[in-house]
Amino acid sequence: MSGGLADLTLADVTRLEDIVDKGALTEVCRSFFDLFSLPIRVFSNDGALLADVHETREICRYVNTLSEGRRACSTRVTEVKALAPRGGAVEHPCFTGAVYRVVPIAYQGRMLGRFVVGPYFPAETREVPRSLLVLDPALDREAARSALAEMPRVREETAERIADHLTRILDLIIFSGHRAFLTSEMHVASVRESFRELTEKNEQLQEAFDKLQELDRLKSNFLATVSHELRTPLTSIIGYSDMLATGIAGELNEEQAEFVETIRGKGDHLLALISSLLDLGKLEQGKLRVKREPMNVELLVAEVAKTLAPLAQKRDVSIRVEVDGGLPDISADAVRIRQVLYNLTENAVKFSPDGDAVTLGARLVELEADDDDDMGFVLMAGTRSAVELSVSDRGPGIPTDEQERVFDAFYQVDGSSTREHGGTGLGLSIVKRLVEAHGGSVWVESVVGEGATFRFTIPEADDA
Amino acid sequence: MQLDFKARELTIKLVYYGPALSGKTTNLQAIHQLVSPGVAGRLMTLETKDDRTLFFDLLPLTLTAGSGLQVRVKLFTVPGQVIHKSTRRLVLQGADGVAFIADSQRSETKANAQSFTDLRKNLKDNGLDAAAMPLVIQFNKRDLPDIRSDEEIDALATRGKEPVYKAIAIRGVGVLETLVGLMRITWARLEASHQLADKFGVEGEPLLAELRRHLGMEGAPGAVR
Repeated sequence: MSGGLADLTLADVTRLEDIVDKGALTEVCRSFFDLFSLPIRVFSNDGALLADVHETREICRYVNTLSEGRRACSTRVTEVKALAPRGGAVEHPCFTGAVYRVVPIAYQGRMLGRFVVGPYFPAETREVPRSLLVLDPALDREAARSALAEMPRVREETAERIADHLTRILDLIIFSGHRAFLTSEMHVASVRESFRELTEKNEQLQEAFDKLQELDRLKSNFLATVSHELRTPLTSIIGYSDMLATGIAGELNEEQAEFVETIRGKGDHLLALISSLLDLGKLEQGKLRVKREPMNVELLVAEVAKTLAPLAQKRDVSIRVEVDGGLPDISADAVRIRQVLYNLTENAVKFSPDGDAVTLGARLVELEADDDDDMGFVLMAGTRSAVELSVSDRGPGIPTDEQERVFDAFYQVDGSSTREHGGTGLGLSIVKRLVEAHGGSVWVESVVGEGATFRFTIPEADDA
Repeated sequence: MQLDFKARELTIKLVYYGPALSGKTTNLQAIHQLVSPGVAGRLMTLETKDDRTLFFDLLPLTLTAGSGLQVRVKLFTVPGQVIHKSTRRLVLQGADGVAFIADSQRSETKANAQSFTDLRKNLKDNGLDAAAMPLVIQFNKRDLPDIRSDEEIDALATRGKEPVYKAIAIRGVGVLETLVGLMRITWARLEASHQLADKFGVEGEPLLAELRRHLGMEGAPGAVR
């Protein structure tokens, strides 16, 4: 996963320059210099100069005009730079009598570098040291003495306190830097970790989704293949029983004719069932194309009523048509919408008591926004209308808790109704899918014992 | 554990785990106050809001073991709130030992168990063997009313395999015992897998003695008995 993370929380500050800003460090040193006139240099562990605030002293300038002095000065400076005390501060004397104070910079027990205070002249020293006087034969003692007088004089104790103060400030800067470093690393690591988790979850979801889609495809394929394979032999069964019924193979007695008629009737029923399955399969796969064109509602209703009139007459059921005048055309697939209205009307006729009436209606309604889509309701309200078609009967009705399930495939309110009234149990599920394919909805209103009204809407096509 | 042969440095990571508000940070604060100066660094607290830890607290301790090996012990806390799960997993990475700080209040029993399940899962997710992880359990807040009784905890402790400590972290009681106890079993595990005595000449007992000395264990409040 992320092997570097253990290192992250254990990450130590090992290089001063990684954690402190050079500019800020120089500013701190300058403020010390302004306050105490003490030169300060900060070195990293490997000797790199990170901050340097000083002014060249008169004595240094003078000594460097002498050839021996220049050499001695250079040696001293090299010595001081090389000092890397670990235990605590050390003092390093210069031949001029001045001193350098070298102080280690440690953090959490680890050396990160050092800072050098000086050169300064210890206030306790009064004499010009011999080391300066014998430095170079060309040395002018008076010049050296007056140059030395300009050197800042600091008492040992004060120098110690100043260095101590700087140590604490540096420690605080390093601590803050370390904390900021760890915080930002944690931020990055947390984000990366969350991203990793989310990616993992997304992959799992995608995998599950793909699997479901594949299953769905297999199911639809299976349905289509099986329906097709079943239909082929069934056509022969129906064809041959037809031929038998017409007496091509010889005259049938009454009983034989009745048996053949039953074979044919059941064969037709089976064929209808298989065709419905095939339709359902296509609808589920989204293969069923809805070809929309303007169509007149009044004509549609009249046509369906006329088609079903013979079936209704057999039961002495009348079909009434109540269509509002002036309805706009709907934009729909004529074949499919006719199938919907036909299925619903056929059902209504089947479930009507003998001698009763079925009513087909059509009216204009305004579409209300969906509950979960009331965005811009103020703007959208009343701008969309639809034609609502209805089919009412006064049959046994459908209990409230069954009213949604009647649209499920193979669901029938009463298991016995198929036997009594025929039908495949697929009609309403196909109706629902067809209506929805048109962007409409279908529902049923019913009181048990008083009949049922199926309503469906087909929205007016958008002007665009 | 990190070993730096060149610098003769050994870094051990101990993590204080437990449910929200069980006193993990308080444990570290108490250790920070009780340990002798120079041994502990500053107590670093990363990202807090309303006194709740968001990332972690870190208290570094530096000990010098025999033969000049520097042993750096880093004490971490994790954020206890449930939502910081991934942060806990991050902090737990590379842990050498875990102190589980449980809340003694009866009402928190379930929260303790949930947090412990979370610990085991995070150890597993980090590729660490939960069963082999050095672990001590501290029942904190012994001074509060309606807590699980000593008898109850003692009875459970004898059946469990982890050392159990009782503490009032806010008063520093039992905190050092927990730390030393964790350090003892962690060192034993590290010794077994890395042969530190052979490689560095560092024995566990003298190191623990040094830790106890720096923690001023003689003068510290004793464990709750």
